[in-house]
Amino acid sequence: MEVLRALAATLAKMFVTDLWLTATALAAVGLCALGLRTHVIGPAPLPFLLAGGVLAALAVGVIRGARR
Amino acid sequence: MTSLAAAAPIVGAAFIASSVEVVEAFTIVLAVAVVRGARPAALGAAAALAVLAAVVAAFGPLLASVPIHGLQLAVGVLLLVFGLGWLRKAVLRAGGVLALHDEKAAFSKETAALRESIAHDKAADWLGGVVAFKAVLLEGTEVVFIVLAVGARPGLLVPAALGAAAACVLVLAAGLALRRPLAKIPENSLKFLVGGLLTGFGVFWCCEGLGAPWPGGDWAILGLVALYLAAGLALAGVLRRSAGSPA
Repeated sequence: MEVLRALAATLAKMFVTDLWLTATALAAVGLCALGLRTHVIGPAPLPFLLAGGVLAALAVGVIRGARR
Repeated sequence: MTSLAAAAPIVGAAFIASSVEVVEAFTIVLAVAVVRGARPAALGAAAALAVLAAVVAAFGPLLASVPIHGLQLAVGVLLLVFGLGWLRKAVLRAGGVLALHDEKAAFSKETAALRESIAHDKAADWLGGVVAFKAVLLEGTEVVFIVLAVGARPGLLVPAALGAAAACVLVLAAGLALRRPLAKIPENSLKFLVGGLLTGFGVFWCCEGLGAPWPGGDWAILGLVALYLAAGLALAGVLRRSAGSPA
């Protein structure tokens, strides 16, 4: 039982080391998908927008981590 | 045919990420071997490896039945979230905000904890075996995820598995030769590199899964990895400078 609990904690920690960072990364992908589906964003600029969004999420995540 | 541009970063990511995890698992298994002997340590580690192999055997073939775009998007998102977490932590460690992981300290702590538990426990070998099992299972779970995720494209699972297997063999050979924790491995630098690799793969595959492929095809992975590593290094530099400047 203890092993299973530790396994569940490891899996959770793998993807949610920082809730804000995880939520922001998911939001960036979600917004890109929505933009593509509604034709607000074309397939050509989308990769660059997502890459930029992830970069911004990383920068803010690091700054937030440093301030804690 | 798998292109070199696609296979090389996958082998590299699987090798480096697995090295980090195997070093951490080895430290705990070694602590068990020192306190209780090689038998419970080896049995616990072997049992965990068997469980992990069963997981790969069960889930590996299932991946082939998932539509490629859906699989790329799901794996891309997971890799992105996982890689960003590693990269952020590595940047904070490189910038001096978080303490670096110390294998010697981890070994001493684990050995002391085991000796303390064993003093109060008659089933000491069993306890040692469970500790080794848990360490290999938990660290191995991350290795399995990385191998399945970076190899989740036709023809790439084998290169990813080979990268991970090479890391296991190399770390275990070094560990068995030295018979002490592998404290000199630059763990944070490796985690930094893996964070950049996984984030780059994650962004690439999210776009592929969404139906917006990168110009340059697989070569874009190298550009993305370079971008996130450069950004991480720049952020770590800013943190170090701000830590050194007077308040």
